[in-house]
Amino acid sequence: MAAVLTVLFNGIAYGFLLFIMSVGLSVSLGMMNFVNLAQASFSMLGGYAMVAATQRFGVPFLASLPIAFLAAAAASVLIERLVLRHFYDTDDLTQVLLTLGLVFMSIAAVTYFWGGSYQRFDLPAWLTGQQDVLGLTLETYRIFLVLTGALLAALLIFGLERTRFGAMVRACVDNQRVAGACGLNTQLIFAGAFAIGGGLAGLGGALAANLLGLDPNFPLRYLVYILIIVSVGGMGTISGTLAAGLALGTADVMGKYYFPQFGGVAIYAATVAVMLWRPHGLMGRRA
Amino acid sequence: MSAVPEWFAGKARWSGFEIAFWCALAGAYFLPNIDIALLSQIFIWGLFAMSLDLLLGYRGIASLGHAAFFGAGAYCAGFLGKYGWGEPVSGLLISMLPAAALGWLTGKLVQRVSGVALLMVTLGLNLILFDFVQRSTALTGGDDGLQGIAVDPLLGLFRFDIFGRTAYWYSLGALFALFVFLRAFVHSPFGLALTGSRENARRMIMLGSPVEGDISIVFAVSAAAAAAAGALLTQTTQFVSPATLSFQRSADVLVMLIIGGAGRLYGGLIGALIFLVMKDWLAALSPVYWYFWIGLLLVLVVSFFRKGVLPSLETGMRGLIARLGKARGGGPPA
Amino acid sequence: MKQIAIAAAALAALLSASGARAQESVKIGLLQSFSGITSLSGQQTDGAVKLFMKQNGDTAGGKKIEFVRRDTTGPNPEVARRLVQEVVTREKVQLLIGPDFTPNTLAAAPILMEAKVPSFVNGAATTGIIGEKSSYSSRTFFATPQLCRPLAEYAVKNNWKRVFVAVADFAPGHDCEKYFVEALAAASGVLAGQLRVPLSNPEFSGYMQRIRDAKPDALFIFMPLGELSIGILRAVSDSGLKGSGIKIMGTGDITDETYLDAVGDAAIGTITSGIYSTRHESELNKKFVREYTELNGPSPRIGWTAVSIYDAMRLAYDGLNAQAGGKFDPDKFVSFVHGRSFESPRGPVTIDKGNGDITQNVYIRRTDKVDGVLQNVEIETFKDVGFK
Repeated sequence: MAAVLTVLFNGIAYGFLLFIMSVGLSVSLGMMNFVNLAQASFSMLGGYAMVAATQRFGVPFLASLPIAFLAAAAASVLIERLVLRHFYDTDDLTQVLLTLGLVFMSIAAVTYFWGGSYQRFDLPAWLTGQQDVLGLTLETYRIFLVLTGALLAALLIFGLERTRFGAMVRACVDNQRVAGACGLNTQLIFAGAFAIGGGLAGLGGALAANLLGLDPNFPLRYLVYILIIVSVGGMGTISGTLAAGLALGTADVMGKYYFPQFGGVAIYAATVAVMLWRPHGLMGRRA
Repeated sequence: MSAVPEWFAGKARWSGFEIAFWCALAGAYFLPNIDIALLSQIFIWGLFAMSLDLLLGYRGIASLGHAAFFGAGAYCAGFLGKYGWGEPVSGLLISMLPAAALGWLTGKLVQRVSGVALLMVTLGLNLILFDFVQRSTALTGGDDGLQGIAVDPLLGLFRFDIFGRTAYWYSLGALFALFVFLRAFVHSPFGLALTGSRENARRMIMLGSPVEGDISIVFAVSAAAAAAAGALLTQTTQFVSPATLSFQRSADVLVMLIIGGAGRLYGGLIGALIFLVMKDWLAALSPVYWYFWIGLLLVLVVSFFRKGVLPSLETGMRGLIARLGKARGGGPPA
Repeated sequence: MKQIAIAAAALAALLSASGARAQESVKIGLLQSFSGITSLSGQQTDGAVKLFMKQNGDTAGGKKIEFVRRDTTGPNPEVARRLVQEVVTREKVQLLIGPDFTPNTLAAAPILMEAKVPSFVNGAATTGIIGEKSSYSSRTFFATPQLCRPLAEYAVKNNWKRVFVAVADFAPGHDCEKYFVEALAAASGVLAGQLRVPLSNPEFSGYMQRIRDAKPDALFIFMPLGELSIGILRAVSDSGLKGSGIKIMGTGDITDETYLDAVGDAAIGTITSGIYSTRHESELNKKFVREYTELNGPSPRIGWTAVSIYDAMRLAYDGLNAQAGGKFDPDKFVSFVHGRSFESPRGPVTIDKGNGDITQNVYIRRTDKVDGVLQNVEIETFKDVGFK
């Protein structure tokens, strides 16, 4: 019984990790209706910012997380102002290819500055090892992930989907001219929304680096997973992304425990099934 | 006769540009110090991109899993060669059949999905097939590739030599033959109906065109052409590995098509030419960082040639010709 | 490269001034991964070639050495084959180092056979790819059974009888699994369980629990360098599997020096079988490590690729020197290289006379922190292990 519960917990923790990784893209899709694959690059950037802060400048791990958020947010706004804002009116495919180009460039740029190796970094001692909780032996870092992920989900669902700022962004996306005429500073709101999306991606990268490793190919390696979570959950709904992350994360870990012979196919098969059954995702709005 | 069929017939006629283009491809062989191995690969990728164009350019269906069909053709040709069917031309034709069936089924499956869901379904199917081939080492040799593929001399006369001479003419010939077929296909009433569905599916339904049923047919044709490209690769290199159906390949072919410009068959060829020549050149120039320049190329093309290089050039040329005409005072009648 | 070019130009000027005839040259193709996930092996290739040229000059057998460098971009047989075709037919290289990876090697072999271009295989470890179908090739890397068999024997000898086997789910993984399980049975060990991990796998906790449930004495791991090798060692440590007394072992890939620092302290205590450690105790290796690091800097660290390329260069130079003066003869070159024994930084090495594969010492190593740096410390030697 203990084994089953431990596996279940690990699955939930993995689900939160997937959620944290994908939420940046989910936000930019939901709020901006922009398919920004470069979110995966912002994740990587957040990871590198965290590593640089903790290893080179001795910043504590927890304090490095906001740094990762800010670094990725700043880069995100920069890219939005320079490139992306010219592409708001184009179709999905153009946005996909444009941002894929940016991903390629980011990989080479990171290799140039940090080299091609995996980055080394050590978590603080209090986040490593295992803890006994209610008779189960759980990994400390996974407990931390679950708590952080839950907090983040709560903040985002109540903060972005149900607040004035969220409504302002949606108004701008739906009709930029009318929103502007109503007195909204559309440029500023777009930049703000991009900063939040990019920053979240950066935070996700910083939190994921410990489990997934960090090297210049990080964006390409996890892009497919991010796309799967976001589209299965329903394009742009944060609660959908959370549900998809938890469902697929738990299914993946349980599947590997009970049926290791199926390998990695389960998650792809689930994706195909969900997309055929509900093309707009589990909690998609745009039906 | 009314003007409309005449206009369509005019579109279907071969232009001087086209004839010159194909002559140039054949003539390139005789240039001194030309990399014919690279050119053969461009023909194969060009055919592959062309097959995707049928879906994306003529029917508006974006697929992120087209390598599945390429790989199906490649492995089919590989198995034929391994188990004694070494004759290349018939092998090529046979290799197109299973992929066509696979394409038809895929078309049935995705009839009712579009947009991102379609991308994810095609991507998912591609990844599942890749995983299967990769793991079935007893059957396919897995990552090490299928061993023991033998291909007979072309027409019983021309051996596939290490210089890649036979490979060059064989791939060019197959590319041309399939291009002629696809060209006729898109200019046929069926092809025109596809374009109609792309532009306005509801209207086509009202006209009585079987919009959804058409998807499986175009998927089958497109998959068969992609499989031909895969089979060409196997036959000219006598080797096949799971890399033929990797996600990377699906993404690359989409990038090529977009660079060249979707919706006119030649776009895929031009895109393959630009992409592979640039990649080869950049990889030799800066092996570690060529990713950066390929990324930049993609960004620039999407930024400045919104519809791809070829259509943008075409528009530019038309504009230029119109302006020249006006300058001479002989503009078209208003 | 610039200094080499200047030196070469100066040398050429000197020779022509003294009335010598124009110097002949030999072109060597370098087909390695310089970009993407596997770019570290390309960096090591450049480092090893640079070091060798510095130590031994840029001529061999009276011929000037020129390089033609191409990027295989990883295990990509389509590209590798085309590049081999290109460097053989257009650049007319006489020797080839690479291409790396088994599929690339196999795809290129027929061209090399037909064009009679001797090649050195590195970065490809599958059994049987060297031999009759590629009689112009010699392997300076290792063959999979070379690493798997000794480790199975070592485990049983140390009374770790129940072993759980976890490999990556692709051809090299299946290859390795086969040899390890065979050798384990031969040494009368017990297979406690086995599983295959998909190549794209960010999450190991389900597998960890499964291994824990099987209660083995030891866990044997084979994973390709990178995401999987780092991921599984970290998971073994984070999940507490390592702390529970299960011995962790695997082929040396998982603790390769180029990736070891990214694994971090989770790697400490891992037992691996390997062909080369920078800590190998020999004068030649100390000199190699010192001069390599002086020339190329400390990062990336020296891994198996570097030493494999360095040895290929050694064989290339020796082979060319052996036929100094005359026109380059590939058959003479191959018959010289095949059957040759020499001391490498990794220890004694023999290229098989019959088929060009490699016989070498295999070391059992323990990963430890030495002077604050993670190192593979050799604790036992299996001498002259064959490639079958």
